[in-house]
Amino acid sequence: MSAIGELSTMTRRKGPLSKEEKKANGRDNKAAYVFLLPWLIGLVAITVGPMLMSLYLSFTDYNLLQPPEWVGLDNFVRMFGDARLHNSLRVTFTYVLVGVPLQLGVALLIALVLDKGLRGLPFYRSIFYLPSLLGGSVAVAILWKQIFGTTGLVNQVLAMVGIEGPGWISDPNTALGSIILLHVWTFGSPMIIFLAGLRQIPVMYYEAAKVDGATTLQQFWRITLPMLSPIIFFNLVLQIIGSFQSFTQAFIVSGGNGGPSDSTMFFTLYLYQKGFGQFDMGYASAMAWFLLVIIGVFTAINFIASKYWVFYDD
Amino acid sequence: MPVNPKGEAVAPAATSKTHASAPKAKRRLRASALVAATAAAVLALTACGGGAEQKSADGKVELRFSWWGGDKRAQLTQEAIAAFEAENPNIKIKPEYGDWSGYWDKLATQVAANDAPDIIQMDEKYITEYSTRGALLDLSKYDIDTSKLDEAALNAGKGEDGLTGIAAGINAATILANPAVFQAAGVPLPDDKTWTWEDFERIAAEVTAKSPKGTYGAAAYGTDEASLGVWLRQNGKSLYTKDGKLGFEPADIKGYWEFLKQMSDNKAVPTASEIVEAEAAPLDQSGLATGKNGMAFWWSNQLPALEKAAGGELQILRFPSKTGKAEDAGLWYKASQFWSASSRTKHPEETAKFIDFLTNNVKAGEILLADRGVYPNSDVREAIAPKLAKADVKVVDFIGAIKEELGEAPAAPPKGAGAIQEIIKRYTSEVMFNRLSAEEAGKKAVDEMKSAIGA
Repeated sequence: MSAIGELSTMTRRKGPLSKEEKKANGRDNKAAYVFLLPWLIGLVAITVGPMLMSLYLSFTDYNLLQPPEWVGLDNFVRMFGDARLHNSLRVTFTYVLVGVPLQLGVALLIALVLDKGLRGLPFYRSIFYLPSLLGGSVAVAILWKQIFGTTGLVNQVLAMVGIEGPGWISDPNTALGSIILLHVWTFGSPMIIFLAGLRQIPVMYYEAAKVDGATTLQQFWRITLPMLSPIIFFNLVLQIIGSFQSFTQAFIVSGGNGGPSDSTMFFTLYLYQKGFGQFDMGYASAMAWFLLVIIGVFTAINFIASKYWVFYDD
Repeated sequence: MPVNPKGEAVAPAATSKTHASAPKAKRRLRASALVAATAAAVLALTACGGGAEQKSADGKVELRFSWWGGDKRAQLTQEAIAAFEAENPNIKIKPEYGDWSGYWDKLATQVAANDAPDIIQMDEKYITEYSTRGALLDLSKYDIDTSKLDEAALNAGKGEDGLTGIAAGINAATILANPAVFQAAGVPLPDDKTWTWEDFERIAAEVTAKSPKGTYGAAAYGTDEASLGVWLRQNGKSLYTKDGKLGFEPADIKGYWEFLKQMSDNKAVPTASEIVEAEAAPLDQSGLATGKNGMAFWWSNQLPALEKAAGGELQILRFPSKTGKAEDAGLWYKASQFWSASSRTKHPEETAKFIDFLTNNVKAGEILLADRGVYPNSDVREAIAPKLAKADVKVVDFIGAIKEELGEAPAAPPKGAGAIQEIIKRYTSEVMFNRLSAEEAGKKAVDEMKSAIGA
């Protein structure tokens, strides 16, 4: 009982805190910081520290074995003349600009179907979500390699109808497409978010539209899409940022070399090769910061453009 | 416990109403908080710093030893470690091994993090890179007996920075043939002392034609520098020059790719897509091991492991030549691998002792046999001869048989040579997929190689 009594008197009291109380407050803050310490150490040692270090390294010539040497903007200047880097940008942009809209389109489509009140919805939801959990994994990338190999499942099926398919992942013309397909297949997590978004749209809008004689398609364009636009925006931002950084799939499917003929040489993969394979960590660090800028610019464009198409219902 | 309006963290004693006990409680609170936080921080830090501890609890010296290779090698090497530990109870060797592809990324990271293994299995492609940058120990300053080593093998590990590697074995570039595939096709095995590249193409194409779909007479070259090295030597050039420059021109590599393309068109070797897929396969699943290739390009020491994977005998062949004379094949002895030590090892004496054991001790030889190539120590080689398995004997005999036919020893790969293989591979597929002509590919590849080795 005493505690509640204390609480009521303290909350009721007005005026500034006494000196003693301020002191006690400071002490408590200190205690809080002490408790936060392990997390702070982690943040500094594992995130902020390495980031600052990589910023410094991006201005140096650093071969991993000897101390870095300051070279100013050399690494950034070198990027302009690096044909393989330009190719890796082309590959990455293709992956993002084709893969993300495709994946979100599929995610939205499946979410719309599931939202129609299917029986056994939780089951289907789990089934469709599963690839999202597995898609980034090494095991699935290896599986993908088997399925799309010269004598893989896809070509075996094609052979049944008399088509001789290419080696999907070993042909430079189709290799990137196969990896984009793998990305699209992992539509589960945006789908779940879409599904949640669809549930938020009040049914009364649809009822009113129906009374007015709107078709299903009209309902979709006039109600579902605008109401869902914040969710679409959210997914878009998230997926674009994630896709620019994707690494595992290309690394595993191409056996780590971005091949054949650099056709799956993602920016991140080239960065990794430069840094760890060719002892050019300074350049690799500069590339990492360049990627950060690219992602920043894309995200900024996204936010600016969102003013024109994202509809907030408030 | 009551909710405190100011969000204070409240220790049990702080619930007391008496003012007298409050400061004491606070102090106790702070003390315990400090202890807890420090403990957590220490835990977090030690988790990051694992591996720095060199001495194990019982006062033993612990050394880390890393190598690349398959299961067979891992098993043999661990037996050799056990034999060493039995003789040196105060030294413990901790093995770290993995596949070739991830090995170098890992090693570079470890060295950069000041966490390099004490004993490092090194390759000629990287030894200059690591030694010129001061990452490897000069082993000549330690007690390692090198008097019984073949001179060529010993010299391969010497550079400006001293003796930074001791050859673990002697190797030669070879073509391995699977007699079962030849037999099934009804084609006789070639005579490797007289064959030319034209013979190679003709025989391979014949095997392909008489075999089931998907089986080829030969695997493609063009995925590593060994075959390019042979090709260049047969044309009077070399991969590298003595002063660390590139030893050939775009025109020289053009012929290498044109011939490969021609062989692929004639079905002597697989299609472009199949070549790319074969690159990624580990030794156990290579075309030769799975009976999909009649012939393939391998190092001589890989024969025993490949025979095991293929489940049958394989035949070692010399490379074809332009003239049909074995002495024009331009083969050479290569140090299959080196034993190197980290320059930052805290226990150089013990590290040297272990390398000496691997190099000169008959017991080690009896365990390792010919897995890393033919033993460079002549005493050990003789002592273990009766113990060799049939496959090992084949390797040793082959190395002995080509001794009189060898060309001049090639120049050591310069700094940056680790990138060359990847460049060859990439431009091979550019040519095979018709994305570049052999001539254009030659120009671009030579440019890239030059910038990789900084020459």
